[in-house]
Amino acid sequence: MSNAVIKLEKVSKTYGSGAAEAKAVSEVSMTVERGSWVAIMGPSGHGKSTLLQLIGGLDRPSAGRIVLDGSELGTLDAAELAAVRGKKIGFVFQFFNLMPHLTALENVEIALWLGGGAHSKGRAMGLLERFGLGDKAHHLPSMLSGGQQQRVAIARALANEPDILLMDEPTGNLDSGSEAELLTLLGELHKAGKTLIMVTHNPTVASHAQRLVHVKDGRIEEDRCNGV
Amino acid sequence: MNLNQLVWRNLLRRRGRFIFTLAGVSVGMAAFVALMTIGQGLKDEIKKQAQGLGANLVVTPKGWCAYEQISVLTGEQLPSAIPMSELAKIRAVPGVKSAVPHLNEKTAFRNQPVLVIGIWPEEMRALQKWSIDSGRYFNSPDERAVVIGAAIAKQFKLKPGDEFTVRGKPVPVIGILREAGSKDDIATFIPLALAQQIYDVQDKVSFIAVQVSDLEKMEATSLKIQEIANVAVVTDKQLVSSVLSIVGSVGAAMQAVAAVGVLAAAFGIVNTLLTAVHERRREIGIMQALGSTRRTLFLAFMLESGLYGLLGGILGVTIGVLVAYLFGSYLTDNAFTASLHQSQTVAFDSGTILLTMGFSVCLALFAGLYPAYRATKLSPVEAMRHV
Repeated sequence: MSNAVIKLEKVSKTYGSGAAEAKAVSEVSMTVERGSWVAIMGPSGHGKSTLLQLIGGLDRPSAGRIVLDGSELGTLDAAELAAVRGKKIGFVFQFFNLMPHLTALENVEIALWLGGGAHSKGRAMGLLERFGLGDKAHHLPSMLSGGQQQRVAIARALANEPDILLMDEPTGNLDSGSEAELLTLLGELHKAGKTLIMVTHNPTVASHAQRLVHVKDGRIEEDRCNGV
Repeated sequence: MNLNQLVWRNLLRRRGRFIFTLAGVSVGMAAFVALMTIGQGLKDEIKKQAQGLGANLVVTPKGWCAYEQISVLTGEQLPSAIPMSELAKIRAVPGVKSAVPHLNEKTAFRNQPVLVIGIWPEEMRALQKWSIDSGRYFNSPDERAVVIGAAIAKQFKLKPGDEFTVRGKPVPVIGILREAGSKDDIATFIPLALAQQIYDVQDKVSFIAVQVSDLEKMEATSLKIQEIANVAVVTDKQLVSSVLSIVGSVGAAMQAVAAVGVLAAAFGIVNTLLTAVHERRREIGIMQALGSTRRTLFLAFMLESGLYGLLGGILGVTIGVLVAYLFGSYLTDNAFTASLHQSQTVAFDSGTILLTMGFSVCLALFAGLYPAYRATKLSPVEAMRHV
């Protein structure tokens, strides 16, 4: 059995049509091993985020195949794709994307509900405590610092125990202290066997990953192991 | 956290918008309830009064219009216009079981207007199936005495043996009728001959209530009466529909107001929810990333919309019933309602509540369809692009 948890075969994503056609992702093929930590780098507007959204089943490719943990995303209907997003993948975004009118605890609980798994009642609280947010559970996101919000977002992403974490500029809006904390946290998750894929501009952040993929004009320009 | 909690939290997020949208739904539904209760109350009352008449046919002078016909039902004062000679002819028509003359007049008693109706005691009692609450009924057709309705007895604290006056002439009260829920409660009755003498209208009556012996031949009997006597005849059903036609014109104006109110409420919901979908498009994207199906999103907005309908329905029923009770008589001010007690124009039952609640929720769900559909059409990527 192959250890590949994500497999892309000649994946393209095109926006618009005719003369206005723009290729965000162009015939990308890559394989991500289970438990690896991949950083996707490259200039703005060259398809990094689109690539991440395609892997996460938030968007469908115009051409090519994506296989995620054994299921080919192109063959799934909308509800099945939603189930994959809810159970197998955790998303973390640059702008945290917490629900502004829900407390930290409720933000984690809503993921438990939408992911549809059966979980013990204290799971959401347990996750917050694990990330040092036990005393902030009943605070609204607006009352939390950027670093705290991002930790709530990670607790939420982990709610349904997904194997894969997809992160779009997770440190983009954090100060250097919070950034370091977050990287330590990601390191722990990596050690615990999660597959981490993050899009980042920041070479320092990227240097923590095992593997660096450089994207330019929607194509993979360079794909190498870190430190080699 | 589950769907219900999320919907509730979303509903109350924008307090001002929530309150104003809810107010719109409530006002629309209140108009609907007020219309239902007042309109239905009137119809019920008119039908009851027509039944209280106990007649199949009403013989009136020629040329009466609906205004006078209303007075037949309410017992209001009427011109005395049918000569007794015509009454004798009508009584002789085959198929006429009984023909009971009425002379509707008015008197002032302790400075209050009171209806005085001249009748033939025995014939009237057979027609109305009256029962006596206290005292006794007339002993002879020309006894100088008055039998009074239950509401009049209560209003003036009269009991048998007391003295009543008709046009200033003393007439002893001999009996009080059992409450009937009809105009008989608010009228006083004296023998026809006495009434004709006091009011100085020898030989004339206001109208004649006719019972036919065979309902199948009602039409033929009616024609026959008109043939031999110089009068007009209406059936009890015609009487009701002609009264309803007047009262109904008030109803049509109210219906239009209620329809506009309800429609505006529905547009209010659509507007509020479309704004909410737009405002929350990023959250909708987040929910999709967290594994939400389109069905869940659709349900969330439909539930939110349905709650507007439910809450608006509850408030609307409350306000509507209050309005109906407080202002019902003003809204339906006309010759018919003028003679009734305020509460009599309002018919209020659990059926109306359920109907209104159901209507409110259905309307709100219908209004929610388009916004909810719009929410499901947002793609997760599109939704998250807006920061």
